[in-house]
Amino acid sequence: MSGRALDVLIVEDEMLLAIELEHLVEEVGCHSLGCAMSSDEAVDLAQKLHPDLALVDVHLSDGPTGVDVARKISQDCGGVALFMTANVKRLPDDFAGACGVIGKPYSEHGVKTALAYLTHCLTEGHVPGPVPVGLTLAPAYATRWGLDDLMPRTA
Amino acid sequence: MDDYSESVRDVSQATGRSPADLEAIIEARTHELKEALDQKTALLHEVDHRVKNNLQLISSLLLLQNRRVQDPALKASLKGMLGRVNAIATVHRRLFQSEDVERFDVSAFIRDMVADLMGSAARDDIRIELDLERVEIPASKAAPFALVVNELLTNALRHGFPEGRGGRIFIGVRRDEGNFRIEIADDGVGFDKDIKPSGFGLTIVQLLCQQLKAKSETTDAEPGVQIVVLLPVNGAH
Repeated sequence: MSGRALDVLIVEDEMLLAIELEHLVEEVGCHSLGCAMSSDEAVDLAQKLHPDLALVDVHLSDGPTGVDVARKISQDCGGVALFMTANVKRLPDDFAGACGVIGKPYSEHGVKTALAYLTHCLTEGHVPGPVPVGLTLAPAYATRWGLDDLMPRTA
Repeated sequence: MDDYSESVRDVSQATGRSPADLEAIIEARTHELKEALDQKTALLHEVDHRVKNNLQLISSLLLLQNRRVQDPALKASLKGMLGRVNAIATVHRRLFQSEDVERFDVSAFIRDMVADLMGSAARDDIRIELDLERVEIPASKAAPFALVVNELLTNALRHGFPEGRGGRIFIGVRRDEGNFRIEIADDGVGFDKDIKPSGFGLTIVQLLCQQLKAKSETTDAEPGVQIVVLLPVNGAH
């Protein structure tokens, strides 16, 4: 894996999912800053700890507030959000400023590959290649990271 | 005049009610039906959401326990179950991604499965060859079908290619007369002629093929193993 270790915040109200994600984050060489279960907790932690990347579920313990969390993190905290949700189709068109989405149910390998890929994007400023299966980039980030220049791809 | 206006005029003449009255009644009823449909659609999304989240929960449970256990045999069992849950999870991700929730795109599914299996196996010495026609099966058969493909692929990976022994796995899907023909062939170490094949994975394949009314044929490809599954396009064999 390339680049420095990213600081990652996990925003997920299912404890078992959050803990397992934390393992995966550490295994790909990122650093976990901890887990938040509600939108308030998430924004508090993000303002205090300035994560490079926040993994954000749409449904949190206080309702479908993940979209607002993602927007605040990208606008006010200087971090990049990545959605992890079973409701990919219901995300706003602009991804609320998030860089993309991993659809649930995801696999261990899917998450690890996506995290390694995003680490490259965030540290180098461009994509290392085509987007791995399981990850979808937001249109704005696909352009920013030069994914559009890779199209049309042959594989 | 279109059919609708013509019908309203006919009914208006037959019942003595004004066309405007009739249209108001129709509009109100249409509105009610639309609301009912919206509710059902929201419910479908809610159920889909819960199914996906629960699958995620099951897979996280298995991963977490796998981290705790030391016994290699137990670890292998947990990994096996995780693979099966992942296969079902891939089905659900695919099913609701497409516009048509009643048909299941076999080739797209196999591409996803292969990417995930090969990625987590981390075996650069095994080459994958795909020859996939676009083939669709009913959504109701998707999960058992996915489990069969998962067993055959993991078997080929695990038994065909022990560590250090590279090679090739071919996966082909095409329509063959009244059947969908799924072929999985490897050029690995092949059968051990003295050992009768057994194991839980094989039992799953046999039972689910029976359920799907599919035939599976295993041949010694020398080198390696070729397995062909014939799944009837409509009904039984």
